[in-house]
Amino acid sequence: MTQLRAKEIKTFSYTRPTITNGYANQTLSVDLSGPDITIKPVSQNMKELFVGGKGFDLWLLWNAVTPVTKWNDPENAICIASGPMGGTPGYPGSGKSIVTTISPTTGSVMDSNVGGYFGPYLKFSGFDALEVTGQGAEGTVIFIDGVRQEIKLLQVDGLPEDSYALSQVLTDFFAEGKKQDISVVSTGPGAKHTLIGCLNFTWYDMKRKRARYKQAGRGGIGSVFAHKGIRAIVARWDSVTVDTNNPADKKAVTTVAKVYSKEIRELDPKENEMARVGTTHLVPIMNDFDLLPTHNFRYGQHPGANNIGRDVYQHLFDPGFDGCWRGCTVACSHGVKDFVPMTGPYKGQTVFVDGPEYETIAGCGSNIGVFDPFTILEMNFYCDAYGLDTISVGTGIAFVMECFELGLITTSHTGGMDLSFGNRLNALELVHQMAAGKGFGAIVGQGIRRMKELFEKEYGADSALLQDIGMESKGLEFSEYMTKESLAQQGGYGIALKGPQHDEAWLIFLDMVHNYMPTFEQKAEALHWFPMFRTWFGLCGLCKLPWNDIVPEDNKETPEPAKVMKHVQWYAEYFSAVTGRKVTPDDLVLMSEAVYNFQRVFSLRLGYGRREHDTLPYRAMGPVTMEEYESRQERYDKQLTEKYGVDIAGKETPEKVAILRKFREQQYEELKDAVYERRGWSKDGIPTLETIKRLGIDFPEVLEVLKANGMS
Amino acid sequence: MIEIDGRQIPWHEGMTVAALLEEIEDAHHYAVVRLNGRLISRPNFEKTPVPDSAEVILIPMVAGG
Repeated sequence: MTQLRAKEIKTFSYTRPTITNGYANQTLSVDLSGPDITIKPVSQNMKELFVGGKGFDLWLLWNAVTPVTKWNDPENAICIASGPMGGTPGYPGSGKSIVTTISPTTGSVMDSNVGGYFGPYLKFSGFDALEVTGQGAEGTVIFIDGVRQEIKLLQVDGLPEDSYALSQVLTDFFAEGKKQDISVVSTGPGAKHTLIGCLNFTWYDMKRKRARYKQAGRGGIGSVFAHKGIRAIVARWDSVTVDTNNPADKKAVTTVAKVYSKEIRELDPKENEMARVGTTHLVPIMNDFDLLPTHNFRYGQHPGANNIGRDVYQHLFDPGFDGCWRGCTVACSHGVKDFVPMTGPYKGQTVFVDGPEYETIAGCGSNIGVFDPFTILEMNFYCDAYGLDTISVGTGIAFVMECFELGLITTSHTGGMDLSFGNRLNALELVHQMAAGKGFGAIVGQGIRRMKELFEKEYGADSALLQDIGMESKGLEFSEYMTKESLAQQGGYGIALKGPQHDEAWLIFLDMVHNYMPTFEQKAEALHWFPMFRTWFGLCGLCKLPWNDIVPEDNKETPEPAKVMKHVQWYAEYFSAVTGRKVTPDDLVLMSEAVYNFQRVFSLRLGYGRREHDTLPYRAMGPVTMEEYESRQERYDKQLTEKYGVDIAGKETPEKVAILRKFREQQYEELKDAVYERRGWSKDGIPTLETIKRLGIDFPEVLEVLKANGMS
Repeated sequence: MIEIDGRQIPWHEGMTVAALLEEIEDAHHYAVVRLNGRLISRPNFEKTPVPDSAEVILIPMVAGG
């Protein structure tokens, strides 16, 4: 192995503060251009308004950038934070970090949450959040050593290119014999050569004796990281107990943690078995309900889906504890050992694959017509190693495959590659090309929005068709759910702050399968409450999965089973016990609402965040082609006649497609009206002055943005 | 007999998942069940037979991701 040569650029010593009620009460700022390292205080007002996690990230980012900052400007910041409850061992899902930046694909604020040890280690080292600005030299490594109370900026030569090897090498390099004390944030060559790069956050697996990783995947944050010249950010911390967060009421924390953990241990084996199969159970279920995206979201079902779901991966996953944070009883971060890739730089070697999860299976499997579990594993492995977001890669390849089959692009554009759906070797080749920044893969790596422009301008492709089938909104590729028959999920994707990612509103099952929200008003209410409550997890350093993927046995007897209010109450108790700030479930939604609206105003400040940006490609709403319509003709004919009162006698498919489209586009616009009104926004999707004041975020900078956008 | 969430229920010839759920209170909450370890979703309830001595677990799935 190549010897690492680390040159110290700057060393900064500090005195680690005592963590109090889950807060370090200061943040760390690293300006790579100076280089400068500074510490900023966290005020009481900042905690009350922004809580922590994404709230702190957004506030730091807001102050770092200007209205004209682009993703690749030095002042763009990458902000990483945990949250007040982050790092509590034993309370399920308490190890999350959240990352924000100005995205290269959307041009606006991006956030992405991720497991692994980094966020808690950062906080215990003395910092509630980290912001990195400026431009570093190639090979920059930031080392936050909470044990020695030192920050080091290093320039390291001899590092491996890919994140898979890099994570192991840097864990070894900094560990001083205790590898579980290290967490590495890194990316790979794919992030450098595309705009859809992800970040890998490690956690150390004591049983398998290796660094494992989870991904902050969405919106090209890894590409910003690579552009800044950063190879890695490493945090070092040692032992963690409930006392490390110094909670206001330790007894209450341990009591509620014990009850919650016990429930998960008892119920998960009876319910989704996430501790055994992760999220792979969703594959056959989504397929049965016609919700699993296949062939670029044309259809929701495929006979091959059984080959790529729980029944297969439960046998491939390496058994053992797979919690990405200490003591998490959901423990869903499964992986496959002794996998041997058939392509690329690791061809023929034995590797460990972290995953796959549902999104990767659907994105790099069914949506590109691949129903081979081993190809999906290889796509998963290389996307992670290269630092590529599996969702944007999958949805992007699905788009070019459909373009290829429709003749919008040909082998003359793809470098001779046949990109028909299901061509697994060429899908893998595209991933390798993305990492190298060469060939047609380099174009796919620019994301769907840029591809649409290129295909129209350079290749003469039909612009309207590209808009209909290019599955992006706000510049972000869709995550992997079919929304055609769920108006609420259309809103969940289209009105989401950062773009179509399900972490804000996963309403598809509640809407389509359970029919919990049949009216517009109920959908609008759901598109208020759920995004707000789901936002709250990102403020606190928590994972959402324990909340509603494991459901209490008596939940169905509660007035609102969709909200799983017993767990919401436990979260209120947990927050109160750690921070000492007594809250009710309603307070949790209110504190999220302030941050949520602040992020909407932030988008507005950058030139986005209006009604015109909350748009969807038509495929997200209904059938674009005759084939799609005719594949579910009975469903669509019935809707036209019974729901819309259309006489379809004598009408051919193209006419029916057009009529249905008119109705569905209209109902999406009506949904936007209802949601905006419920959220206290104008018809143009801008928070009103009254809303801003009610939420306490009416400080001068915010008012200035609203005034500049006609809201005064 | 079959076992459903730990309770014993008499089995009869030709029993399907749909027929079984008709005997359960509040069955509309369950869009997915696990039948002898296999996931069965509502679209397949009517066409999926329940064998004698089967173990059935009702899955209260509300969300994901």
